[in-house]
Amino acid sequence: MQVYLPIAEIPVNMFVIFGMGGAVGFLSGLFGIGGGFLLTPLLIFSGIPPAVSVATVTTQVVASSASAVVTYWRRKAIDLKLATMLLIGGVLGSLLGVILFDVLQSVGQLDLVISLAYVTFLGAIGSLMLIESVRAIRRRKSGARVAARRPGQHNWIHGLPFKMRFRQSKLYVSVLPILALGGIIGFLGTVLGIGGGFMMVPALIYLLRVPTNIVIGTSLLQIMFTMAAATIFHSIGTQTVDIVLALTLMIGGVIGAQFGARMGQNLRGDQLRLLLALLVLLVGMRFAVDLLLTPEDFYSIAIMKGAGA
Amino acid sequence: MIGRSALLLALALCLLGSQTRAEDLVTALSSDEVSIQSNFTGTEIVIFGQISRDLNTIARPGVYDLVITVEGPSQDITTRRKGRFLGVWVNREYETFQGVPSFYALASTRSVGELGDRELLDEHAIGLHHLNLAVSGHSGVPLSERDDFRNAFLRLRQQQGLYSERPQSIEFLTETMFRTKVPLPANIPVGQYKVKSYLLQDGGLLSAKESDLTVAKSGFEQVTYNLANNYSLIYGLLAVTLAIFTGWLAGVIFRKD
Repeated sequence: MQVYLPIAEIPVNMFVIFGMGGAVGFLSGLFGIGGGFLLTPLLIFSGIPPAVSVATVTTQVVASSASAVVTYWRRKAIDLKLATMLLIGGVLGSLLGVILFDVLQSVGQLDLVISLAYVTFLGAIGSLMLIESVRAIRRRKSGARVAARRPGQHNWIHGLPFKMRFRQSKLYVSVLPILALGGIIGFLGTVLGIGGGFMMVPALIYLLRVPTNIVIGTSLLQIMFTMAAATIFHSIGTQTVDIVLALTLMIGGVIGAQFGARMGQNLRGDQLRLLLALLVLLVGMRFAVDLLLTPEDFYSIAIMKGAGA
Repeated sequence: MIGRSALLLALALCLLGSQTRAEDLVTALSSDEVSIQSNFTGTEIVIFGQISRDLNTIARPGVYDLVITVEGPSQDITTRRKGRFLGVWVNREYETFQGVPSFYALASTRSVGELGDRELLDEHAIGLHHLNLAVSGHSGVPLSERDDFRNAFLRLRQQQGLYSERPQSIEFLTETMFRTKVPLPANIPVGQYKVKSYLLQDGGLLSAKESDLTVAKSGFEQVTYNLANNYSLIYGLLAVTLAIFTGWLAGVIFRKD
């Protein structure tokens, strides 16, 4: 069924878009991630203009994180105060992101920055996750015990000023790293069209030592609000949010996520992380190939002013 | 059928109009508005026309040549070329073409080169290689490579289906009545289009006509586009509300515990 997208200004096959949303939703349910980093490239590769893809995925991430937030809210596994602090950073970062997005688009380097950032972040995080999960699997196989988290453990982050108490997370840390973390992820999320959960969750666990049971719900809540802000900033700044495309992706996504979540319960945590690491690396490599291989066409055109700009 | 009779009426009225030149050209479009709705996957417009001679003019030997162009609203378009930089392929040199048509389709009776001399073709922008591709003042591209950018620009626009040249695509119904179809692809930009018809003979221009064509979004597409552009805050809030509602609904429907 061909439907003309009002903002992207091209007709697309609704079932294909629905299927993409569903497939990415399945993976996001399986791995407990937003899936923006998979969906944005998928849309770009399928011919949706990059600016529309990035902006529209921020809206889709709002929907997918909202559906998960409902679950964590019921389990009371969300630290509201921590989420608020992350959010303040996130909104500021997101605002900066939209400004940069606009600038890059006008100088013609948006695609390059998106590709480079994908290669860098996905490559780095994918590799770290791969190493971590392989170690975990080996440990499990050799029967060694995993060292439990000691509450008294401190790193350099705990020496920073402006400390604040987060009761639910049983934390007493500086707000600076929290604001910075929210800011960086909000910024990247807006520029790259990703929620950033796959960066937020490890950062909260390893850097701030937030208890694992609180991390996912808190991260999801903050991503939901940051991406909601990003959607509004994109709507005002770049006017590239396509509501028809977003709705189709959302519906596919939330349905797919349910099946993914069910399948995820039958797999071990370290196996899941290994699979996710491979997936992240694969997407990163796909972007690296485009940057390194001699392009088929050296030329490209972009409308700067007038109809359709 | 109403469309066709209206068309014939329009033709007839045009024929009755005063004629100052020996040969004149009358044209009519199958529709002067193309509306883009959610099921839009491209369309075509039909252009009818008639060559008329006043009674005092002696029939000239030789055949008439016809050219019909459909031009979209103008745009500034930047063409970029990739080059290697620190091992990766990035956009390096660029050239911005100013005020070029966003859409250009040409139908003619003969290939463009045979229609007339370069001056005439350039003056009326007949043919892709005779479009006025003015570049902006500050261009970093050496003169010797400018043609590469022009050619790349035309090639990419043709690939997108937005520029086309179709010789021998005008069909003569009688000796003086003609018809042609111009396909409008799904990705055409919205705006005011110009349909220009030229009657030529032996490299000389006998007559030219111009008419307007509007391409506009309508219905839901138009409302959405208008909202996104003129009420962008409301549009953004609407998108967020829709997303949260969809997510919440899914969370409630698929509730497990």
